[in-house]
Amino acid sequence: MEITTKQDSGITIIYPSGRIDTSTAKNFEEGVMKTISDSQLVIISFSAIDYISSAGLRVILMAGKKMASIKGQLALADMPEKIHEVFKMSGFDKILKIYPTFAEAKASFS
Amino acid sequence: MLLKVRNDIQEIDRVYDEIKEFCLSHDITEKKCFDILMIVDELATNIIKYAFNDEQEHTFDILLEKSSQAVHIQLTDDGIPFDPLKKSDPDTMSSLEDRNIGGLGIFFAKQLSKLITYARIEDKNQLDILVSLKEEE
Repeated sequence: MEITTKQDSGITIIYPSGRIDTSTAKNFEEGVMKTISDSQLVIISFSAIDYISSAGLRVILMAGKKMASIKGQLALADMPEKIHEVFKMSGFDKILKIYPTFAEAKASFS
Repeated sequence: MLLKVRNDIQEIDRVYDEIKEFCLSHDITEKKCFDILMIVDELATNIIKYAFNDEQEHTFDILLEKSSQAVHIQLTDDGIPFDPLKKSDPDTMSSLEDRNIGGLGIFFAKQLSKLITYARIEDKNQLDILVSLKEEE
């Protein structure tokens, strides 16, 4: 699992890649929580994610709660079908903002 | 395929790779393989984290067998008696503020399997899981 981040007109974009399971969730957590700590608008793009387990969802939930507590916004985008299914199975699609494409996620902030 | 797994969270990576190989060599679709990976990952993680309380090294077994319509998965460990299926399901309708992560892994394993049973046999925990290979199930 690798994480790269980018800043684009006031938005922080996080691109994790590979798989987020129990053995990689710690790195994912550190990368995400550090990155969002000083951002109001965050997009996490899942385009390069092959797999996510409950350990990965735990980190996304933490990030969602953190962003809500600072009145920021978190959008999730570009999910492969199987990844989206995991979010739906967990009910996270009802409590987090998920957009089919990066452009739609970005547009949701304006 | 029989995997001998140590109670070390880093083993999950190796288990993942072995199952991928199993799927490829048994013509299991990527979609179904994802389900199998998730079931094994969540249940094996649970064993590694909670089954052993003596800080010793333990090894547990993961068995995968494919039949024409299904994959049978069996996990056997010599840890403390624990039936993960008794854990209550998470409330998937609660709000972001109230949402708790506990129990989600077991819930996923239940959702993705056609049948899942627990038994305590000769001082071992045994989980048997059946995953249908029919696309609609």
